[in-house]
Amino acid sequence: MSQHREEHLDLCAAYALGSLDEADRRLLEAHLEQGCAQCEAALADFSAATVLLAASAPAARPSAELKRRVMAAVRSDGPEAAPAPEGRRLVLERPRRAMLSWAWAAVAAALVIATAISWNTASRLRTELEAKRSQMTELEQRLADEQRWAAVLSAPQARVVELATTPQGTPDLKARVTYDPATQRAVVVFENFRAPTGHDYELWAIRGATPAPASLGLVKADDTGHAVLRLENVGDPATLGAFAVSLEPAGGSPNPAAPSGPVVMLGKVSG
Amino acid sequence: MSLQERDSLCILRLKGGESSALEELYDRYTPLLYPVALRILRRAPDAEDAVQQAWVQVWKSAGSYDPRRGTVAAWLLTVTRTRALDLYRSVASRKKAENQVNPEPPSPPAEPSRLAQQSELGERVQNALGSLPPQQRQVLEIAFFEGLSQSEVATRLGAPLGTVKSWTRQALMRLREQMPQEEWT
Repeated sequence: MSQHREEHLDLCAAYALGSLDEADRRLLEAHLEQGCAQCEAALADFSAATVLLAASAPAARPSAELKRRVMAAVRSDGPEAAPAPEGRRLVLERPRRAMLSWAWAAVAAALVIATAISWNTASRLRTELEAKRSQMTELEQRLADEQRWAAVLSAPQARVVELATTPQGTPDLKARVTYDPATQRAVVVFENFRAPTGHDYELWAIRGATPAPASLGLVKADDTGHAVLRLENVGDPATLGAFAVSLEPAGGSPNPAAPSGPVVMLGKVSG
Repeated sequence: MSLQERDSLCILRLKGGESSALEELYDRYTPLLYPVALRILRRAPDAEDAVQQAWVQVWKSAGSYDPRRGTVAAWLLTVTRTRALDLYRSVASRKKAENQVNPEPPSPPAEPSRLAQQSELGERVQNALGSLPPQQRQVLEIAFFEGLSQSEVATRLGAPLGTVKSWTRQALMRLREQMPQEEWT
């Protein structure tokens, strides 16, 4: 994303005036496409000033015939349908005061609303729209994520490993691993995991012919002791032997390759 | 419903093919647009052609209006000015081919006093323009009414491009500041 720079405001001024050089126009439009609140606000002001500049042209009004020609062309959906008649009569009189006042009133009102309402409203609506789009994208991502993890639980080849409490664990601990060998993803559900103060429970995968533990992360349970871990790359089904839970000092084992505290739960992965 | 809301509604109706929406915009903004075309082209028949082309373009391309780039009024102004400048260049090119002489440029910047309008608001606009430093006012007028790009303005005035850019921004800011919103009502 191109960062807003002071020179962009110079470009906005020339853009509103319609005098931007081509290279600068491309540069500014690329910048605006990415959204820049400062430049959009500046454009609103510079556009209003340009309308004022336009209003400095000497007042004049076209012939009444012009409107008929325009509307005829439009209703036929093309300018060719209503070619300008030969020998048009020029009607260029000094405008009457009433007409002039009306014209100024229209310009003034347009300018007032332009900056006071339209721009603010448009900006607000645009911001809201962007926020909604962002929420929608986030929800879509979450939904896709949920579906991906739900697929682990419903995979026909999924293996379920109920971890058993060891003599060093409290009897009410419960943990169940659902593991999909095809994707090597696992969903682990924990119950009654209230770690003593100053401690954390840590989940481990035991892999290899010579069993080697690898940390899968800390178990951060809610107040009821419930926790769910979703794990990627749990391990090759050919070498994954078991899951284990240890009770560690707060923050987990200092060694990510070995529990430092007692192993409180263990569950072997059946072939 | 505010005027700008009505303008936005007109744009939506235009997209839906309602010619009455164009008629409404025509009545509202032609008093702003036609004098600009006339100032650029100087001949009323040419100015009317440019304005007609502009309204037909608005009719056909209402979908290209982007509110992030400015108001409906500013967009209509851009369309009309572009048509007028295109027509000016085309007429100038034809005259040059016929006469082998340089065409007259569009109307030279006029003194604010000569442009004085009867309306109070018109006088305020003129006063605001007149209060700008001469070079800044000149930059605005030749860029807008003669259709010169910033680099062309720099060449015309013999000023560095960066200076012209800076003058343009300062001039528009001062014009805007001198016509605060509450004075336009």
